[in-house]
Amino acid sequence: MTLVQNLPFFSIVIAMFSGIISSVLTGKQARNVSIGAIVVTTFMSAAVLAFCLKTGESYTYMMGHFPAPWGNEIRAGVLEGLTALLFGVVMLLSVVGGMGHTFEDVEGSKLNLFFIVIDLMLSSLLALIYTNDLFTAYVFVEINTIAGCGLIMIRQVGRSFTSAIRYLMMSQLGSGLFLIGLTLLYDVTGHLLMSPAKEAVAAIEASGSYEIPMLVILAVISVGLAIKSGLYPFHSWIPDTYGYATPTASAILSGLVSKGYIFLLIKIFYRVIGRENVINSRIVNVLFLFGLVGMIMGSVRAMLEKDTRRMIAYSSVAQIGYIYLGLGLGTQDGVIAAIFHMFTHSATKALLFISAVGLYEVSGDKKDYLSLRGAGYRNPLAGIGFTVGALSMVGFPMLSGFISKLLFASSALESPHKMLPTLIGLAVSTVLNAVYFLRLVTTLYSPATAGALVGEVRKRTRAAHWMLGGATCCFILLNLILGSFSQPVVRAIAEGLAMFE
Amino acid sequence: MEGNVILLLPVLFPIFMGIFVLAGKGFRTNRNALIVASLMGLAGGLILTILAVVGGGNGLKVWQLTEQVAVAFQVDRVGMLFALLTAAVWLLVGIYGFTYMTHEEDECRFFGYYLIVLGVLIGLDLSANLITFYVFYELMTLTSLPLVLHERTKEAVMAGLKYLFYSVAGAFMALFGIFFLTTVCRDLSFTPGGILSGEMVLGQERLLLAAVCCMLIGFGTKAGMFPLHGWLPTAHPVAPAPASAVLSGVITKSGVLALVRVVFYIVGPELIRGTWVQTLWMTLTLLTVFMGSMLAYKEPVMKKRLAYSTVSQVSYILFGLSLLDPTAFVGALSHVVFHSLVKNALFLSAGAVIFTTGWTRVRQMRGLGQVMPVLLGCYTVVSLSLVGIPPTSGFISKWYLAQGALSSGTGVFSWIGPAVLLISALLTAGYLLPLSIDGFLPGADFDDKEIRERGLKAKEPSLQMLGPVLILTAGALLFGCFPGPFLGFLREIAGTVF
Repeated sequence: MTLVQNLPFFSIVIAMFSGIISSVLTGKQARNVSIGAIVVTTFMSAAVLAFCLKTGESYTYMMGHFPAPWGNEIRAGVLEGLTALLFGVVMLLSVVGGMGHTFEDVEGSKLNLFFIVIDLMLSSLLALIYTNDLFTAYVFVEINTIAGCGLIMIRQVGRSFTSAIRYLMMSQLGSGLFLIGLTLLYDVTGHLLMSPAKEAVAAIEASGSYEIPMLVILAVISVGLAIKSGLYPFHSWIPDTYGYATPTASAILSGLVSKGYIFLLIKIFYRVIGRENVINSRIVNVLFLFGLVGMIMGSVRAMLEKDTRRMIAYSSVAQIGYIYLGLGLGTQDGVIAAIFHMFTHSATKALLFISAVGLYEVSGDKKDYLSLRGAGYRNPLAGIGFTVGALSMVGFPMLSGFISKLLFASSALESPHKMLPTLIGLAVSTVLNAVYFLRLVTTLYSPATAGALVGEVRKRTRAAHWMLGGATCCFILLNLILGSFSQPVVRAIAEGLAMFE
Repeated sequence: MEGNVILLLPVLFPIFMGIFVLAGKGFRTNRNALIVASLMGLAGGLILTILAVVGGGNGLKVWQLTEQVAVAFQVDRVGMLFALLTAAVWLLVGIYGFTYMTHEEDECRFFGYYLIVLGVLIGLDLSANLITFYVFYELMTLTSLPLVLHERTKEAVMAGLKYLFYSVAGAFMALFGIFFLTTVCRDLSFTPGGILSGEMVLGQERLLLAAVCCMLIGFGTKAGMFPLHGWLPTAHPVAPAPASAVLSGVITKSGVLALVRVVFYIVGPELIRGTWVQTLWMTLTLLTVFMGSMLAYKEPVMKKRLAYSTVSQVSYILFGLSLLDPTAFVGALSHVVFHSLVKNALFLSAGAVIFTTGWTRVRQMRGLGQVMPVLLGCYTVVSLSLVGIPPTSGFISKWYLAQGALSSGTGVFSWIGPAVLLISALLTAGYLLPLSIDGFLPGADFDDKEIRERGLKAKEPSLQMLGPVLILTAGALLFGCFPGPFLGFLREIAGTVF
């Protein structure tokens, strides 16, 4: 075993320990520790990815010395490495970009708590990506939920308490369903490790027994994780949560947290239940339908919204719909498209939230999107960032959103029954996206009316200003890279998925 | 990056100059520097386009976007035609703009975007496959938006939004056609005569037709084809005159180019001939031709009238394409060039009148011939050309269109088409020529008091403004008198695609 193979484990532990250490540090020290942890784990993920790409196969890592059916395992492959790397980059940029606001919104004595929450979030996301054990997954799902709650609540204004509680309730509902699913699965198979569980499931399927329990398990797990990732009919917590948290929190919650659950769901589909069984159970059709409705309803709600950040949040509902639509297609290409869109969405949505900060700053922090008139001239970089993000979401060529849509459309053409609804859904949702995003962008670049000009403009330290600018630039770059050089990424996703089987 | 890098130059140089003009601080105060820089960009754009067209050779692959799709450029005859037309018209209108824009604010922004759009359009014309084309098509919408918005009045902003939404909706309709095509064929390189064959779409014919229909309506938006034509009469007149001229004269043609590329270079005319898509297409274009002329006839504001006229005239071109007939195809492509010359000249004349007198309505322009005889003369000549009176160029294109329609074998359309074209020509005469008549022959009861009071007597626009109009008019006339070589060139194109 080489050193690199230890890195997934190390990265989870480093993130956890930096959280623990931070509890006795001051806010600024905690910040440095946290950023250090993110950087180090990101490099580790990159190393894991490079290693897996080189060897061309995945590996499992035994925790402690108990062999397979009993011990706890970590598993790393190309897809895990890639996802962890991307999540690390997005997390780093979100934390750095929102730093100025974090230090204003969060009470001084609680600053280190904020960074503890960030560290916990990082470790739980990494664990969700790497774990090969269902119960460990559940534990980290809970840690993730608590951390998410902390992120929302840390900005102590009235609305954020309500939204945190709402988030907690919905999330607990999701986790509860997930737990029930796990318990039933454990009853039926007798295993919690993914690989032996899969063998047991295959044996059960072959014998034809437990038909209904298996369906229930699949349904409960899917619905549980769908609630947690904010699929359409279960989305009610999203707009408040994303809309009222600090920018870093909004970016991380919308860009990463929901994706962690989706990743887990894909992993369970492939590594526990088995792809064929999932398709045969027709649960994919339900996901497909919810995804389709979500794509359209999310966009419609976003169109009706006047508050910019809630608008972006509703757009997340639509984008999550896209991802489930991809999963629901039930083909390998559909899943590849879904995973690519996961990456697209985390890079783009985080960019939108971070650059929206830059625009608010120069427009007197009002909620109404009309107050952003001319903000694109007052803060050019944030304006460009927002424009790029919006165009990418709309599906402008050369940006990552275009590639996602291309992948969705071409994978739809392989499943004849779902082709027409997918194409129509994509068309309608794209046009709706265009309507509200381009309306925002033109608002940014239309002249501010003379009388109702801006309240006071927030004063920023130089450092915070540079950090925001730098993060915006990096996000734009990330988007362009995903959009223009998508080939290697798509190939890596395909390779990673093949390793899942 | 493989191939001939020279193809990238006419795309990048104007864009680079445009960004330079937008970003450079000195240009705001120093007008001469602005003009020199813009002129360099425009002239450089034209020269580089000629160089690229001559030395383009095998094309250029910039990079691989996805496994199927590359960003690539090439020079073929259609691309050459559109690129040269664009670059030449852009230069002429730009020269006119140097004077015209003195009475508008923020010239830097105007010329900056004007140059960028030029680069984007050349990229559009020289694209080698549908995806590259689509990239530039979207860019064109975005970069030409500031030209519409230029005056920043509420009216202009609303018109800009309308333009944006129609264009984007159209482009996305087209995008779904493209998505379908990417799954049917491995790469979407433009090949004369189309790359699809019957076997490739076996069992998916209905879907193919639906996709083509989406693309027709989607790309037709830019060309002002019914039912998505509503933006054109709103957006073109609010822009400053040089911008309305190129919007109407050149940018609408990119919609035409899109349809030429899709129908004749990707799908192939054979797969569409005789289907409901062709019928729908012909119906829509004839409807647009007639409706545009009627609306123009009723419109009192000069620039709006010209915009409605564009709606009608561009659909002449589309009708020619929809017949899927070589003769009509030649007529359509020649009308691309002729209409571009004529419509630019018309908008520039209207702009010159606004610039010197501030008149916008046709009724105000009575007696204009006493003040600006040369300008009104040019106007009359190009109007005649648009009506289609020999020996002007419009006659040639309409002749071919009618001939093509009659020989196309499209049943009832082969005679309805020419009939609609004739009625529309009559209407064209009805909405363009009264200005000439009232202008030169205001009648006995005409009181030129206002003209005298405002001291406008015998004041032609300056040579910088008049020159481009004269050149465009001469072009419209010369192509009509000596169409031989040009038509030969177009016949070669038609020979390759059918």
